[in-house]
Amino acid sequence: MASRNRTLVFRKYRDALRSVRIPAGSSPSTSSGHGSGPVIELATTSLLNPNRSYAPLSTEDPGTSSNGTVTVGLPPAWVDLSDEITANVQRVQTKMSELAKAHAKALMPSFGDGKEDQHRIEALTHEITDLLKRSEKKLQRLSAAGPSEDSNVRKNVQRSLATDLQSLSMELRRKQSTYLKRLQQQKEGPDGVDLEMNLNGSHSKRDDDDLDDLGFNEHQMAKLKKSEAFTVEREREIQQVVESVNDLAQIMKDLSVLVIDQGTIVDRIDHNIQNVVSTVEDGLKQLKKAERSQKQGGMVMCATVLVIMCFIMLVLLILKEIIF
Amino acid sequence: MVLVAAVRDYINRMLQDISGMKVLILDSSTVSSVSVVYSQSELLKKEVFLVELVDSIAMSKESMSHLKAVYFLRPTSENIQHMRRQLAKPRFGEYHLFFSNILKDTQLHMLADSDEHEVVQQLQEFYADFVALDAYHFTLNMAANHMYMLPAVVDPSGLQQFCDRIVDGISAVFLALKRRPIVRYSRTSDIAKRIAHEASKLMYQQESGLFDFRRTEVSPLLLIIDRRDDPVTALLNQWTYQAMVHELIGIQDNKVNLKNVGKLPKDQQEVVLSSEQDAFFKANMYENFGDIGMNIKKMVDDFQQVAKSNQNIQTIEDMAKFVDNYPEYRKMQGNVSKHVTLVTEMSKIVEERKLMLVSQTEQELACNGGQGAAFEAVTNLLNNDNISDVDRLRLVMLYALRYEKESPVQLMQLFNKLASRSPKYKPGLVQFLLKQAGVDKRTGDLYGNRDLLNIARNMARGLKGVENVYTQHQPLLFQTMENITRGRLRDVDYPYVGNHFQQARPQEVVIFVVGGTTYEESRSVALQNSTNSGIRFILGGSSLLNSKRFLKDLEEAQRIARISTNML
Repeated sequence: MASRNRTLVFRKYRDALRSVRIPAGSSPSTSSGHGSGPVIELATTSLLNPNRSYAPLSTEDPGTSSNGTVTVGLPPAWVDLSDEITANVQRVQTKMSELAKAHAKALMPSFGDGKEDQHRIEALTHEITDLLKRSEKKLQRLSAAGPSEDSNVRKNVQRSLATDLQSLSMELRRKQSTYLKRLQQQKEGPDGVDLEMNLNGSHSKRDDDDLDDLGFNEHQMAKLKKSEAFTVEREREIQQVVESVNDLAQIMKDLSVLVIDQGTIVDRIDHNIQNVVSTVEDGLKQLKKAERSQKQGGMVMCATVLVIMCFIMLVLLILKEIIF
Repeated sequence: MVLVAAVRDYINRMLQDISGMKVLILDSSTVSSVSVVYSQSELLKKEVFLVELVDSIAMSKESMSHLKAVYFLRPTSENIQHMRRQLAKPRFGEYHLFFSNILKDTQLHMLADSDEHEVVQQLQEFYADFVALDAYHFTLNMAANHMYMLPAVVDPSGLQQFCDRIVDGISAVFLALKRRPIVRYSRTSDIAKRIAHEASKLMYQQESGLFDFRRTEVSPLLLIIDRRDDPVTALLNQWTYQAMVHELIGIQDNKVNLKNVGKLPKDQQEVVLSSEQDAFFKANMYENFGDIGMNIKKMVDDFQQVAKSNQNIQTIEDMAKFVDNYPEYRKMQGNVSKHVTLVTEMSKIVEERKLMLVSQTEQELACNGGQGAAFEAVTNLLNNDNISDVDRLRLVMLYALRYEKESPVQLMQLFNKLASRSPKYKPGLVQFLLKQAGVDKRTGDLYGNRDLLNIARNMARGLKGVENVYTQHQPLLFQTMENITRGRLRDVDYPYVGNHFQQARPQEVVIFVVGGTTYEESRSVALQNSTNSGIRFILGGSSLLNSKRFLKDLEEAQRIARISTNML
């Protein structure tokens, strides 16, 4: 794929042409022949002259400058919002990798209780969900009213951040579900074997009937207690999953409005450009209509009449009080 | 892949080194080039948060200096004027200019002169001056496509512009592929000859430094042919998916506009048919209508299964799985409804216009059959009230192209009948077509009745019988490609430009059709490429034709020709 970089040639021409323009500053009268020449030359001479105590910054406004490169002016306020959300996204990503490590550690067979691992996983999951929820709320604030170029930029920034947030929440859910599945497998594994052994044991014990009645009951009670504790724990875990599913489903629902479906017409650049053109035109028409109807102000007339009537009534009331 | 990948690569290079929020500014032709290969979501990933056209961006005055502007324009004089005005009053923080073709020195000077605020950070030429529709098919989307049918004296400057645009487009393709070809053209076409010579001059003399690429053993071939060598393909009704959608509804830059079709939900009123993004379309775009119906039915059944299982949510795990798979499900649903809508609409049109009947006769006229039977068939269809005007016109044209010299009396009868039955028919259009693309004007053997070998081949095919009556036609391009593959493209019919001679077979061939290509031909090229014959073919044209567009070009050319003869 061939390409040609004309930047150097361009810069050469630009410098050459600039030097053609500027030296005329020494004799401003002769330069009056140029079109826009004189304005620039006088400004540059004043800047070049160090004797003048000038504050050129005050005469410059961001975005244009008469000398040198354009100073990048302050971006609008909503850029701070989008920067915050981007920072949140990165924080979520680091936490997700920590979560993955914690999951792996908790799944490894250990002799300890594993309760601190559980706590840590819970804490991390909560933090991540929290960050995602906060980011999503901030995202809603990014939308702007009214069609303008700035609002299109905002809308697109919103969409891009929404896509990031959605993919992160889906990743979180996937990690959670794989972790839970593996956890269940692990728990069921030993329990399954256990149950089997107990069953066999109970079969063999049933043969020698009455003698071992008492022992049998105790054994059964212990088993019952164990499975009860197990069920309670299972329920708690399921509750957790349901909560996080709900949280994330809510986020996904809100985000899915913003995210672009790939491969559809909305994902086409030319479609978006046409929409911009038509919405800007529509917006202009609406604005004009609104202005017209406001000026005609049927409502304004009514309101004025009513206020005047109020005043009149008030005066009459006062008069009535005074006279009687 | 090749063309699409080249344009995508260019766009990636444009955006990769520029950090921060960007605005991408395009003109009306580059917006097509970019839209067919790059999606909005991919632009967002590259931090491009605004896309605008160069003429509309001039209307706003708000300064957005926190954005960096990336311009991708064609180096036309209007665009240079726009750039000058915008550089004089810069709205953005930085300006990165990319042009889709070679900038003239004067234009470079003008830009340098206007850049008083020195906001331009880079200026490069990235040669993506064409619209890469499919892997091996590109178009130039030219509006004034009818110019190739007019003699040079009618509008010399217009014709020069036409040729310049084509030469620019062709050179951009070769610069993107990094090749310098040997040029051949169709003997009987003046405009093909002109374009061939101008392209050769550009590549070998004017910009020989730019085109000086690593020489391969066998140079690639650029073959410039004229639409009028094969008007039949442009007139026929199509029965393979992509070609049929374009013929009956119309595809523009891989988008289909369904706004005229009944009541559709808002997100289905305009759909995208891109082989890069839609796996079902990629698998079915060259299949014929019957097979498509079956495949769509299978797709709908699969989808219904998935939908049913989604409704069957019983446990928490099912719920979780549903939420996980929801984006996939939604995408599948959108895709299924898109294809179902298209096929339904096309079936409706086929039924309304009785296209099965019409197309059978068309294929007979294009491929085989005797003159007498053909005359009867066409007459019957002309008398049939259910046939639309445009179909009647096409039938008579196809008959006239084939049996131009046989039995002029019957031909005259057909003309008169057409004029009497079709009120909107502009008289003389068929004769105009014959003047443009008659048997004397064509290179190559359109009906396979000139060359002995072709006659033998036709007889063999007639004896063998065809699989499907409706898709038996092969465009002339197929024969041309076969000849190139066998090294039998005659010098007499397709002379070389300059002193080059091709000893061996080329390995890359770009065929450019002046006047436009059709999807039937791009299908032929794609199928040829998949046979691994060792040669890679790429097809391009000045615009994308269906029968409606071809007839429109004919009418426009006839109108202008008439005006000019009146003036002389």
